[in-house]
Amino acid sequence: MASVSATSLSFQPSLKLSTRTSQGCYKTSSLEVVSVGWNRRTFPSLRSSRFCICAVKAQPETVQKVCNIVRKQLALPAESELTPDTKFSALGADSLDTVEIVMGLEEEFGITVEEDGSQNISTVQEAADLIEKLVQDKSGAS
Amino acid sequence: MANAALRNVKVLPNSANMEEARHRVFQFFRTACRSLPSVMEIYNLYDVVSVSELRSSVSSQIRKNIHVTDPKVIDMLLFKGMEELKNVVDHSKQRHHIIGQYVVGQQVQDSATKDQGTSTFLKNFYNTNYF
Repeated sequence: MASVSATSLSFQPSLKLSTRTSQGCYKTSSLEVVSVGWNRRTFPSLRSSRFCICAVKAQPETVQKVCNIVRKQLALPAESELTPDTKFSALGADSLDTVEIVMGLEEEFGITVEEDGSQNISTVQEAADLIEKLVQDKSGAS
Repeated sequence: MANAALRNVKVLPNSANMEEARHRVFQFFRTACRSLPSVMEIYNLYDVVSVSELRSSVSSQIRKNIHVTDPKVIDMLLFKGMEELKNVVDHSKQRHHIIGQYVVGQQVQDSATKDQGTSTFLKNFYNTNYF
C-alpha cells in the first residue's frame, strides 16, 4: 500500500509542471503579438498628429458652438451681432465673465485650459482656435 | 480628485499688490469650477441644478465683493472662500445646505451683503424680516 501511494504522488507534480510550462509559452507568444501591434500603431498616430498640428485653424462648427456658449453665458439677445472677431469686452464682459466663459467651454468640450492659455483669450476666434488645438492634442494623445 | 487637490492647499502669504490679488481670485474661481462636477456627484444635485447654474452662483458670490480694493481684505475673503469650498468638497455639509445656499439662496436677501447703496432703513427692514 505504501509503495502504490508513492507512485501516484510522483505522477501528479510532473503533470502540473508540464501544464505550467505550456501556459507560460502561450503567454509569452501573446505578449509578443501585442508588442508587434503597438509598434505598428505608433507610426500612423505620429503621422496623423502631424496633420492635426498643421490644421490648427478652427472649424466653422466649433466657432458656432463657441458663439452659442458666449451668447448664453452673457445673456445676449438672439439678434445681437456676434462675429468671430468680436471682443468679449465689447459685449460688456469683465475679467470674471471671461474666466466663466472659458470654464463653460471647458465643460462643453471636455478639455482643460491652462492658465497661460486662458489669459490670451479675448475674442471668439482666439477661443475657438485654442479649443480646436486642445481637442486635437487630447485626441492625438489618446 | 478635487478632494485630493484641495487637501494640498496651503495658506499663501499676503498679496503684494492688487494685480496679484486679482490673479488669485481667478485661480480660486477656476479651482471652484473644476470641483463642481464632484460636488454634483457627492450631493446628488442632478435633478435640482446644473453645473452651469452652480458656476453662475459661484461667480455671483464673487461679484458681491467686486468693490473691495484692499489686497488684505481680498486675501481674507479668499481664505474664507477656500475654507467654504473645502467644507463642500469634503462633505462637511448636507444636501439641503448646498441647495439652500447656492440653488435657491439667490432669491433671498443675503444678510452678509456688503452693498453700499442700500439705505439704513432698507437694511433694518430686511433684517427684521428674517429675524
